[in-house]
Amino acid sequence: MMPTVFAEVLAARRADYNGRMHAARQRYPRLAQDVFLGFLHSHVGPLAETVDALAPLRVAGVVDACYDAALELVGRALVGPAAAGSALRDSWRDVMPRFAGLLAGHPAEVVGLLSNAALYLAAIPGTRCGQWNQEMIAASASIGTLAQLRAAGQINAWRAGAAHFRAGALAACTTLPEALALALLHAPPGVPLDEVMRQMAADPWWHGLDVHGCREREIGAFSGFGGQFGAPPEVRAADDGFLVRARDRAFFLVADAYGAVLRPSSIEEFGLAPPNNGDVCVNATTVAVTAPTTHAIRLVAA
Amino acid sequence: MAFDFFQKVSRAPTNPRTRSAARAFDVADLYNGPVETGGAAPAAEQTLDEKLRQAYFWIVNKAIISPHYDIEYNDGPPQTFTVGDSRRVLTLPSGQSYSSYVLLPLLTFATRRKCLFVGGPGRGKTASAILMGVLAGASVKDVRRAMQHGHPQMTIADLLGNPLPSDLVNAQSMDEIRIAWRAWLSMRVKIIDEYNRIPTRTQSALLTVMGDNYAEVLNHVFECPESAWYLTANDDQGGGTYQVIDALRDRIDVVVQALAFNPRFLDELLVRIEEDVRPEEMVPQTLVFSEAEIDAIGRQVRAVAVPDGVRRRVEFFASQFELLEPGGTQFEYMTKDTARLAGADWREIVAADTGRDRMKDLGCQTRNGVSVRNLMTLLLYAKALAWFRGNHEVELEDVRQVLPFVLHDKLHPDLGAPFFAVPENAPFRTDRVSWLRRLFDLANGEFLRLDLERDDPVGVLSAQFAQGLDGVSERETRARLVKIEKLIGAQTKGRKLYGHLYDDLLKLKYLHQRYTNYLAWLRAQT
Repeated sequence: MMPTVFAEVLAARRADYNGRMHAARQRYPRLAQDVFLGFLHSHVGPLAETVDALAPLRVAGVVDACYDAALELVGRALVGPAAAGSALRDSWRDVMPRFAGLLAGHPAEVVGLLSNAALYLAAIPGTRCGQWNQEMIAASASIGTLAQLRAAGQINAWRAGAAHFRAGALAACTTLPEALALALLHAPPGVPLDEVMRQMAADPWWHGLDVHGCREREIGAFSGFGGQFGAPPEVRAADDGFLVRARDRAFFLVADAYGAVLRPSSIEEFGLAPPNNGDVCVNATTVAVTAPTTHAIRLVAA
Repeated sequence: MAFDFFQKVSRAPTNPRTRSAARAFDVADLYNGPVETGGAAPAAEQTLDEKLRQAYFWIVNKAIISPHYDIEYNDGPPQTFTVGDSRRVLTLPSGQSYSSYVLLPLLTFATRRKCLFVGGPGRGKTASAILMGVLAGASVKDVRRAMQHGHPQMTIADLLGNPLPSDLVNAQSMDEIRIAWRAWLSMRVKIIDEYNRIPTRTQSALLTVMGDNYAEVLNHVFECPESAWYLTANDDQGGGTYQVIDALRDRIDVVVQALAFNPRFLDELLVRIEEDVRPEEMVPQTLVFSEAEIDAIGRQVRAVAVPDGVRRRVEFFASQFELLEPGGTQFEYMTKDTARLAGADWREIVAADTGRDRMKDLGCQTRNGVSVRNLMTLLLYAKALAWFRGNHEVELEDVRQVLPFVLHDKLHPDLGAPFFAVPENAPFRTDRVSWLRRLFDLANGEFLRLDLERDDPVGVLSAQFAQGLDGVSERETRARLVKIEKLIGAQTKGRKLYGHLYDDLLKLKYLHQRYTNYLAWLRAQT
């Protein structure tokens, strides 16, 4: 049974919504109508009810934004049987309702930010989407503006394993109230934000008391088993990370206390880096260890 | 919600490549995804080449159904298949390839040059030209109204404007006659539909506007803004009601052919009928270019470098065609142009051209040479294509790809040449694009065979001269003169004269003369 408020909004704008569905099917011929209806029922309906309890006059706007986003997501098969993983569904079901107040005021923005963030993190091997959801839920009571939501999402994405966001996330900390920033960073009690930031800037492996941080990470697996490397990787040190080559592909490896991430690079750039003798490679902050018999790279704080 | 199929523009990079230089990871990427964020996330700065590529892909995916990837690029070995009794090769390019019918007009738009669409009626020539007008920011209605339709009764006044009737009666001098200029003259994209139906006299007025960018009526002058031109013709051979004057034809920079519609894409036409939409009316606002942006594109395109190696290939190719030994006695006049100006019978003069391997000599395949204007256009479009592909340097392949469209109407084949008599070359008699590309490939093959990439003594002497003459002593000058003379002796000893050798000898003569003059000046100083 569809929630009442949601059903009323759909009925009131039936022709318009049908038109959107028609247009979306032109764009996405594979758009599955049953999956779309199921998503509306299981995810958009409950959101509409939650917003109705807070701001009844904003429900139509929220449904509007959710309907368009759902068309986009189902049209691209990002939800439904063909979707990889449950990060997006979890975000809509668990995280979005916690931001019902913001959602009422900025429906398109909140739906877009939370959906895109879930998809982005899910696409990076090794990131911890569940942690990101939990941290966002935990911080939701302290987040009052769209800008704070955006910054908190970025900080939590970094702490959930998106190591390449480190600099941007630290910069985002400075835009938040100190208490909120310290809470997001799980900083040790009594330590001011400046000090935490100074430590983090100086040592990428410093994580205070944050249980999600550690001083070593491992990345990489054989591509035949869903990993990133078609052959045991070769590693060379770079200024702020490592250059990695496996067969005809090259990557830039970024690692810190919260995770390790491979980003695309080029064989030319790899060729420009000074060759490494042996299986151990060191840059200013990190030791990278690999071997000809493994597809994995172990990263340890120097 | 409006039917938005035509409004969607890909937000993904249109020419993805790993850029090592930019190692800064943007945390805002977290929120870039398929769902609109209502502008909440700061948009990444879009470069103009990316914007033009967005426009290209919007046009090929949404507006013009042109699934012909005839501008082929390969990142690695392509897959090829031999098809049919004629054993033609179908290539599946391994790199991002393009449709000339969309790309060349877009490059014309970006560089504000002149493009001619040719092809049968109903193939979207006019619609494509209108799209370019809309990309420049004009409404579809304005573009349609400003479009000039060639017809046999078209007068200069129809084309350019009328004197005001009241002024004609009352004016005491020509200065007092005001002219009502036609609106199209001030458009940034000018469209002349079926230009080959314009009478010859009116074509001359059009030539002034195209060539010199101003219009003149009764001693009054209208200065036109810099603009891109699109002309259409149903018959690229100059048919229609009137013969197109050569000078007008020569002002056209590129010629693109509207290829046949593939009925496999009929479903896309069906959508347009059912939704009652015309793509030119649905151009996304984000793809519209301001005047300042087009100015900036022009600057960026001009800044694209042409490496020496690529320039040498163009030089070598262009040098193949002008030589016609029986055309003159003095070295400088042994050209096809000399023979043409004299009105000599082509067959007779070609029959007198003996001694060379007419099958191997590329110059024998054409009735003319490559003009300065053609070469400048070729280099500009090669730069534009390289820029469009996101590169800072022109690659040889860029030249190879644009060359047939630049020289399409400029380098005329001599269909009586032995090359065209060979059965496997027969299709080149009709497929001019493929012939020109083949010609360029053959020239490159010859360049490599002669090992000019590594051993180019004329290039070495030219480079030495380009260093300047300041401080060059009399002794050194004499040494260089001797070197030139020796090189000419070596180059000409027992060798037949081919186009590239002819140009090399003229270049050596030029260098010799410059050093001779310098030597005379040096002597006068002491």
